[in-house]
Amino acid sequence: MVRTALAVLVLASGLFLLSRADTDTALRLALPNAPDYGGRASASLAQEAAAQTALRQRLGLHLPLFYIGRGVGPASHAVRWQWHGTANQYHLWAGRLLHGDLGTSFRTGAAVAPRLRAALAITLPLTGTAAVLAVVLAFALAQRLAARPRWHAAVRAALAAVQAMPLFMVSLLLLLVFANPEVLAWFPAYGLAQLTATGAAAVGQYLARLVLPIAALTLTALPELTLQLEAALARELRTDYATTARAKGLAESAIIRHHALRNALLPTLTQLVELLPALVAGAVVVEVVFALPGTGRLLAEASAARDYPVLLGGVLLVGAVRSFALLLADLLYFWADPRIRWQP
Amino acid sequence: MATLTRLWLRWPRGLALGWLAVVVLVAALAPYLPLPYAPAVPDLACVAQPPLGPGAHWLGTNPQGQDVLSNLVFGARTAVVLTVPAAVLAALLGAVLGGAAGFWGNAGRVPAAGGLLAGGAAWWALGGPAAGWALAVAAVGAVGCVAAARGHVRGLPTWPVPLDAVVVSTAAAVDTVPRLVLVVALAAVAQVSLPGLLLVLVLTSWPHPARLVRAQMLQVRALPFVEAARAAGLPAGRVWLRHALPHAVQPLRTALPLSIAGLLALESTLSFLGIGLPPDTASWGRLLASAREAPSAWWVFLFPGACLALTVLSLSALASQNHAPTRKA
Repeated sequence: MVRTALAVLVLASGLFLLSRADTDTALRLALPNAPDYGGRASASLAQEAAAQTALRQRLGLHLPLFYIGRGVGPASHAVRWQWHGTANQYHLWAGRLLHGDLGTSFRTGAAVAPRLRAALAITLPLTGTAAVLAVVLAFALAQRLAARPRWHAAVRAALAAVQAMPLFMVSLLLLLVFANPEVLAWFPAYGLAQLTATGAAAVGQYLARLVLPIAALTLTALPELTLQLEAALARELRTDYATTARAKGLAESAIIRHHALRNALLPTLTQLVELLPALVAGAVVVEVVFALPGTGRLLAEASAARDYPVLLGGVLLVGAVRSFALLLADLLYFWADPRIRWQP
Repeated sequence: MATLTRLWLRWPRGLALGWLAVVVLVAALAPYLPLPYAPAVPDLACVAQPPLGPGAHWLGTNPQGQDVLSNLVFGARTAVVLTVPAAVLAALLGAVLGGAAGFWGNAGRVPAAGGLLAGGAAWWALGGPAAGWALAVAAVGAVGCVAAARGHVRGLPTWPVPLDAVVVSTAAAVDTVPRLVLVVALAAVAQVSLPGLLLVLVLTSWPHPARLVRAQMLQVRALPFVEAARAAGLPAGRVWLRHALPHAVQPLRTALPLSIAGLLALESTLSFLGIGLPPDTASWGRLLASAREAPSAWWVFLFPGACLALTVLSLSALASQNHAPTRKA
């Protein structure tokens, strides 16, 4: 847990230093109307340079990047390594980060933290529901599949086919089939932006817009979980204690539920740890396809616009989710396996 | 996404290999094929045209008027050129790092002389202060290295290198964030180009092979033949490279096709999002993205989607059949 948090910090620091090493593109994109001055080229160039300098000052980009760096020394004019002291970009960034301040966006100048919070309000219901649904469905399906009904080959083939499709394809397929006026117009295709109704109708609209994204996320998370759990169950059902249970005359479903499931759970818990971060990553795709203004789309847009503070905030957030998932997994192991509980 | 689960769909090896061969051949021959249209050039007279319509658009056009067939062909070229080198390079990097970490653990030591030489040289090359001292340190190191190589002096001091801890924690740091998010973040930093994206993919994909090779190496290094090679007096580096590593990289036979499949899914996702590759590069993901603009144009979705799914399925089938003999053994 502490190690993960540390790793997230190291990764974010690396990204920070990499991103700040080349800020020219970011500045150009942050001043979108700079080339539109028209008129004489020299004047507009001078104006652009002045605007860039002002922006640099405002964003603190004029400071040196790190504690040490190469530069022209004040005394001699040779390029050499020098100590910059604590007035550098990295020190200020890390200090603010420790106080919970993620900085301000390059593009809009708004603080990053509230934007992330607003985006999370969209993403959390989406990924949370998808995670719960995927786990519940995987459990139900794997238990049924382990009893080898006649349809298990067909379901497995379908799961494998879904597994072969990347998430964006599944989402596109759902979009083109279920939100398409020419095929089935069951759900609205786009966005939460144009919610017009109020009260109960608004809730209905909101839910209708979340159905397809949740379905896409659940469908892509499902095969991996189900196949893994089913394989573990099949392994457990070949053991001696399962044979004993069968010899006692128990029904196969009772053996699966009361005897094999808990033992089969342990290897699957690792999969569960990966589920939450994977869903957050999946949100990047799903929110772009279905035009939901969540964290995923925020990240994708920040990446396209080189809006590094927003990007770093997003990466830190995802890292935090991962740390949380690891903590959850530890608790789950603790609950599922008494051997871990009794270790001194 | 395909990972190390066994695939259950029966997709025969011959079919899988055949399809992959077709994809690779088409990718290699793309510039020489007699295609009537270039992939990036829009034919504005035929926008969102169904297959076999007027003009020579055999598989139709997308809403931008680009030919679907030539985009498929050149998209295959982009996919092969990007994912195969990325997977191979990541596997190589992972094998070297993971293999070294597993073989030497945290007990590895480098001769202090070599460290002095490298440190002094790096100091001098980076232009640190007091360049004279740096050169002196490097010279002392060089003398020590020469002496050690000639065998004049024994028992020179050595420094410990916690290689295992460094590799494992670096891999953990890269893996804390899902690969898609990390690539999206890094793609903003790297230049928008094919080599840039290749570098980003390699740098984010090596932890998995490294972990596999390290785990295998921990078993291999305890086997009798490695001990025998050591007892025969071979230098440690040679034992590692010639005796232990060939056995430790066995898990990669299964992992490489799956890694290519994962990278293919990642590449098409990035192209779909419009991140990473220059906008005029043909890609299956980009073609799929244009399907959103014309919901009735099923051909824009069906053909690239089928290509993508078939390729991923074939790679998974290849992996599971590579996997099968080792399971029985």
